[in-house]
Amino acid sequence: MIEVKEITKNYGRKKILKGVSFTANKGEITCLIGINGVGKTTILNAIMALTPINKGQILINGETINKNMFEKITFIPDAITMLPQMKISDAMEFMNDFYTCWNQKRATELLGFFKLNEQDRISSLSKGNTAKVNLLLGLAMDVDFVLMDEPFSGIDMFSREEIAKVFTSHLIENRGVIITTHEIGDIEHLIDKVVLLDEGIVIKEFSAEEARENEGKSVVDVMREVYQK
Amino acid sequence: MKSYLKLVNFEFNRFAKIFAVLLSITLVVQIAGVIVLSKMYLNTANEKIYEELMPKAEFLSSFGQMSFLSVTRSVWFLGPIALCVAGVGFYIFLIWYRDWFGKNTFIYRLLMLPTTRLNVFYAKITNILLATFGFVAFQLILIPIETTIFRWILPKEFRVDMNVKEIVSSMPEINILFPTSFLGFILYYGAGLMVVSILFTAILFERSFRWKGIFVGVLYSIVAVAVFISPLLLQEFVLDGFFYPLELFALEIVMGLIVLAGSIWMSGFLLKNKITV
Repeated sequence: MIEVKEITKNYGRKKILKGVSFTANKGEITCLIGINGVGKTTILNAIMALTPINKGQILINGETINKNMFEKITFIPDAITMLPQMKISDAMEFMNDFYTCWNQKRATELLGFFKLNEQDRISSLSKGNTAKVNLLLGLAMDVDFVLMDEPFSGIDMFSREEIAKVFTSHLIENRGVIITTHEIGDIEHLIDKVVLLDEGIVIKEFSAEEARENEGKSVVDVMREVYQK
Repeated sequence: MKSYLKLVNFEFNRFAKIFAVLLSITLVVQIAGVIVLSKMYLNTANEKIYEELMPKAEFLSSFGQMSFLSVTRSVWFLGPIALCVAGVGFYIFLIWYRDWFGKNTFIYRLLMLPTTRLNVFYAKITNILLATFGFVAFQLILIPIETTIFRWILPKEFRVDMNVKEIVSSMPEINILFPTSFLGFILYYGAGLMVVSILFTAILFERSFRWKGIFVGVLYSIVAVAVFISPLLLQEFVLDGFFYPLELFALEIVMGLIVLAGSIWMSGFLLKNKITV
């Protein structure tokens, strides 16, 4: 389980996060939702110790993040984390070299799933294919948790559909996923838990399934209720 | 250790193209310099001896024999060395900043590797050292080749032959790069390593705290240099020559090691706790 406890983050005098708390469980898809600048990416960066927090605590399976955790949790940012001059095969080799949790078989499967050519250079890829490579590099790792920052950002409808298929495939089974996205419609039916953020705080945390079954509301309906109040 | 070596290899491959270009420029320009300067001398000799019918002995007493130092003191020789020094100096900054800027966000990957983040620091500083040693070694290999070309072009009576050690020791401007003793090597390259570690720490301060980090980084560099030269300052202004030169030398080495260790510790702390992508 990932536990985010009362974290605060300031950029200069500006308070971005003002005591954010939520949990994300293994086997669930947790979606962080909020307008631009609300601190969604900062939360993901903070979980991965890519930006320091001012207060609060983040625990992954009961431990604070350390070097060994990067074999258990992976982060897929909204930009490619490999060098543009690398071929996809080079990027896969890099991952294989450094991570014991790298699953080459799954990587090959993902190459086929996304119809990517491993001899292509990253710099020559379209935005959609770059996003797919980014996903491939994250999902081919045998980790407990996957963090995804705007995986559908700025890519065409067909690529979005292909990426969305990942969430219903075995490739994501039994993992905890924390995702931030504005394209909620693509994965709304797959989300287990929603964390709505506004002005640096969690304004609502709810189970998507309960909202659907008990109140007959979709995630978008709840968002409208909360944000347009 | 395995991750560190992999990172060193990876970082070196990223530098390989720039390294190869700088080596090629050094090779071409220095050899061209040997040929051009030797030919110029030879043309003057031919002009004076065969056209103006100046006796050879008179020519040699007026113009002197050409020594290889005429080449090494020219821009043909020193220019590429300066370029390589500038290249390494520039690369000290580029080796960090390229991972944050541009289309890729490679710093994410480096910081998410399942190894201590200090290995990234060690790999980068090792690459700066490797590049420096590479340039120096290449230059030391190149000098005998250049002196051979020099001997091919100029007849024996017109030239002064020198070996590599004589050439290097007669050039104080490059003596720091090519120390002639082991002690000099330890001293110069140790100091170089310390300076690079201070600069890396300053860069990491900037990458951690952005604008405020520039100020803190500059302050850290000033404090580090002050600590390093504190025995010299004490000797000069407070203790009035209290230490023997050897004691002062030992103190400087100790201070250098303290500054180096301090920079590594601080960099490790920043990478672990303060760095921001």
